Amino acid sequence: MSTSEGLNLSIPGSQSSPSIRADWDAGVVVMSGESYPENSFELYDQLIQWIDSYLSNVEQSLTLELHLNYLNTSSIRFMIDIFDMLQTAHADGKEVLVQWMYDDRNPRSAELGAEFKEDYTFPFLILSINA
Amino acid sequence: MTITSTSLMSLRDFFSDHKILICFNGPISTNLIGEIGSAIKEHIESNHAPDLEVMDVFSVYIEMSQNIKNYASTKGFNDTESSATVVIAAADPGHYAVCACNLVEMEHGKALVERIRTLADCDKAQLKALYKEQLRRPRSELQGSGAGLGLIEIARRSSQPMEASLEPVDTGRAFFSLRAII
Repeated sequence: MSTSEGLNLSIPGSQSSPSIRADWDAGVVVMSGESYPENSFELYDQLIQWIDSYLSNVEQSLTLELHLNYLNTSSIRFMIDIFDMLQTAHADGKEVLVQWMYDDRNPRSAELGAEFKEDYTFPFLILSINA
Repeated sequence: MTITSTSLMSLRDFFSDHKILICFNGPISTNLIGEIGSAIKEHIESNHAPDLEVMDVFSVYIEMSQNIKNYASTKGFNDTESSATVVIAAADPGHYAVCACNLVEMEHGKALVERIRTLADCDKAQLKALYKEQLRRPRSELQGSGAGLGLIEIARRSSQPMEASLEPVDTGRAFFSLRAII
């Protein structure tokens, strides 16, 4: 068993909250589902702390793979906090990447990804899962 | 007044006349918001509506009902006070109405109506700019203002300006009603 396994994050998804898997060794965070939880702070705070800890302790790259069909405005605000952290890390010379995956049947998800991307200069890919 | 089978029929007629698809009246809970949300999606999808419409109606519904839920929690409202009316109805072909009504303090209600009037004058580009500005506002400035981002999101998904009204009740409170057409 790897010693860093305890540093991984695994939060199961539900109807109103996305599943979150964060792998410390791989430097990958995967989020899938819809996000409109009653308490968005509770959900996103864990992830924000994980990313903060990863970025301050690990030299290697961080990739966020996001399969988010829908986010309510309070979840969007937390995603902004996360992207701001990536932007700072990018400015410090760290390698960060966001892969925003959307389904062609849900054009609003592609638009949301594009609106996020507008405000950042780190690599932010918007990719159709149907391609 | 106890409900009779005749009054049930007139309720049914009212629903049919206003093309109401889903309606809820009572204390709003997180579980209920989720369940009604799923019902809305299924219902509109079954009408072969484009996914764009489904997601827009869903988004407006979520923002509206979570605003109400958050307001009632912040105010420490009891079950009676946090009772809300939420209605999803068919509008012109390809359009839907999402409406909600809840109890608010008169001063908050007036501020909301004023805010909605301001948003009504904005075009889509202005709404987007407002939205981004609100997203970037420090959390410390957001305390107590509530509803901010949610209302802009509703305005962005709407095909015409939102309509709001305030019906005063006793004790300096009012019923605030909001209608969005998607």
